[in-house]
Amino acid sequence: MSRVIESDVCIIGAGITAAMVAERLAERTGASITIIEAGQRTASLAERTNTRARMLAYGENPYPNDHIPDQTGTGNMYRQMVVGGSAMHWGGAIPRYSPEDFRIRSLYGVGFDWPISFDDIEPYYQEAEERIGAAGEQGPEDCDPRSKPYPMPPLPLSYNLARMREWTDSAGIPFWTQPWARNTEPYRGRNVCQRCDTCAVCPTGAKYTPDFAFDQLLAQGRIDLVTRTLVRRLALEPGTDRIAAAEAVNRDAPAEPIEFRAGTFVLAGGHAWSSHLLLLSGNSRFPDGLANRTGNVGRYMTGHWYVSGFIDLPMRLYPGIFANNSLLTHRFASPGPLDRYVRHDIRLWESDVGRAPRLRNGDGSLLWGDEIMADWRERTDSGATARIRSYYDVLPDRDSRLTLDGSNTNALGDPMPRIDYRPAQTSLDLEGHTHKTIFGRFEHLARAAGGSMMSTRTSRLWEHPGGGCRMGDDPATSVVDRWGRTHDHENLFVVGAPTIVSSGCANGTLTFCALSLMAAEEMEKGLNG
Amino acid sequence: MPRSRRSFLKQSVATVAAASVAGCAPDGDGESGAASDGGTRGAAPGTKAIRLPAHTLRAVGETVLPAELGDDGRERAVAAFERWSDGLEPVAELAHPYLVPETRYSGPDPRPGWAAQLQGLEKECRARFGSELGEIDVAGRRKLLAGPVGQAGTGLGSPSNAGHVAVALMAHFFRSPTATDLCYGRVIAKQQCRGLDGALGEPVHVAGSEGGAP
Ligand SMILES: Cc1cc2nc3c(=O)[nH]c(=O)nc-3n(C[C@H](O)[C@H](O)[C@H](O)COP(=O)(O)OP(=O)(O)OC[C@H]3O[C@@H](n4cnc5c(N)ncnc54)[C@H](O)[C@@H]3O)c2cc1C
Ligand code: SF4
Repeated sequence: MSRVIESDVCIIGAGITAAMVAERLAERTGASITIIEAGQRTASLAERTNTRARMLAYGENPYPNDHIPDQTGTGNMYRQMVVGGSAMHWGGAIPRYSPEDFRIRSLYGVGFDWPISFDDIEPYYQEAEERIGAAGEQGPEDCDPRSKPYPMPPLPLSYNLARMREWTDSAGIPFWTQPWARNTEPYRGRNVCQRCDTCAVCPTGAKYTPDFAFDQLLAQGRIDLVTRTLVRRLALEPGTDRIAAAEAVNRDAPAEPIEFRAGTFVLAGGHAWSSHLLLLSGNSRFPDGLANRTGNVGRYMTGHWYVSGFIDLPMRLYPGIFANNSLLTHRFASPGPLDRYVRHDIRLWESDVGRAPRLRNGDGSLLWGDEIMADWRERTDSGATARIRSYYDVLPDRDSRLTLDGSNTNALGDPMPRIDYRPAQTSLDLEGHTHKTIFGRFEHLARAAGGSMMSTRTSRLWEHPGGGCRMGDDPATSVVDRWGRTHDHENLFVVGAPTIVSSGCANGTLTFCALSLMAAEEMEKGLNG
Repeated sequence: MPRSRRSFLKQSVATVAAASVAGCAPDGDGESGAASDGGTRGAAPGTKAIRLPAHTLRAVGETVLPAELGDDGRERAVAAFERWSDGLEPVAELAHPYLVPETRYSGPDPRPGWAAQLQGLEKECRARFGSELGEIDVAGRRKLLAGPVGQAGTGLGSPSNAGHVAVALMAHFFRSPTATDLCYGRVIAKQQCRGLDGALGEPVHVAGSEGGAP
């Protein structure tokens, strides 16, 4: 016999997208909200000072208990399952996608258009930036459109970035400061950034992490947060396609199932676990998994790839002033008409690569104390290194896919996800051209500074991954509608990363949040009506 | 405004202006930089303290750390290394690699090996020079250390991965904020809470270092 917990809204997962939905619904509806999180709480803000120190000293994970040992898939996916999700660890870079990202089929004849436009999502970008607390600089309007200013002024350029911006200006490429989820003013009770440069774990609370939102909602009595509780299945109301319950187990008492009943279910499990849960929830009406009548759940898994390098600059910089700030351009994400498709961002950081202290000099001779210092000084006296990186979009194939892996089960015997990403043939055909174009721009930048490329590399890591429940107007080719509502189940929403169509060439989380807020607005109609 | 070189070296970089901001200094952190020694004192939870022979370690410090630190500076660097070593936890869970669904752990405890290396050095020294390591000149000590240190690669990576204690000591010092400031002759104070205001300006000189190396 299951224990039953009832609420108006049941949110599965307590990551950043869940925080967006919960906060908005709590403000705008009287609905009771339960959030179920498989993970537990990790280091509190007060504890992060010490976990940060240990991370710096020993490389230790600053978030103890941030994952579930037996709950692990195969393929390119995050490890974190914890209150706050991956956005406990995130860097907090929060660019918007470019208007072109939503219309690449219409504009360039490749990939797919989204069912929404940039103008549709723009107000929700703003709302997400206000909820998170975005500090940013307005870039040129033609490649950084926004209807209202950022809620906070940008992080200040460091001495290093200011010199680098003089250089990029001379190259004729507009760069501006990366927008960040880090406070440049006291914001919503959180501190101002102290430039301590360990943003993976922020000891001051200046970086937004979703636990702040949950703590506030808990203090207001607006949510119930049930932790260490894994949802194993979604169950239908007998004879209908409505979701009746989320069937879960508390990880400390797996023999005692819990049934969460609600009028509205929100799947906020992130890019991997959302499709996974739908596939796990197959039944006689939906043998291939819920929301999967047309077989699209787990398909079109997406992300972007990158190319990167290091540039040798003939200028004196001081690495360490502010390594966690960077310059950004979206000029090439909004390129105008193109003969051949290639879109990407470019980011620049200070770096000490090639200029760190070393044990041997260029001849391979062993160095001691003062010699190490002298060799280090010689290499930093009149030259510096910049790190450069471009994300470029990779269009997913339909068979870029998350499946259930019967050979890898958790302690409960449930198959774990396996993700086999696959780029569409178009992207493979374009890869050489993409690399050549971007490396050409890197070279151009390096030459403008009188410098040269030290090294380059390419990566096929699918960054800021999403997909698996992509949105669309046509149920034959998508899982959810533009609001994140599943085509097959009127009271089941999937929010954020899983619903994206493609992942553009910018960090994705702000877009995942904006999409979640769009979905929350649609949920409100049902809850207030 | 230049800071006096003496006070710079004395203070190291742990006590920069913003240290009073909540979250900037770890519990119990004293004089030395949190970024370099972890701000830890005593053995890490669940581990037994393995002390490195202090006398020999100091003799190694005089051999492999920059003389420009002076006796005080080298003593502080060695003491910071000892605190760091005391706080080291073997097989600790490491920060997750990005987008890899695996948990990774640090290696086995390097300290018994390091302690044995220091004891071995003393034996070797007595056998070759008839006296303790601390009593022979630096050139002699370097002869003794050249073999084991020479087996290391070019870079100075994480000290806990260093095969030899002398390399670990060098890595610990040269990766510290103090070393960076000394190299550049500027107060950069990397990874310290510094506030946003000073970011744009060129870092101030460490006094005595204007126009080049201090
Ligand atoms: C080191 C690092 C740096 C990053 N930096 C950036 C950055 O600078 N900019 C950027 O845009 N993005 C960044 N990201 C990515 C960003 O963190 C993620 O895109 C974002 O946090 C995803 O949020 P989410 O809510 O979609 O999912 P998640 O954060 O994955 O949260 C989902 C939660 O749901 C829970 N859950 C899943 N299934 C179930 C279930 N069946 N039952 C109960 N609970 C369940 C999980 O335990 C998890 O806690 C970074 C990520 C990492 C790891
Ligand atoms: S640099 Fe700012 S945001 Fe990053 S960890 Fe430090 S205080 Fe937090």
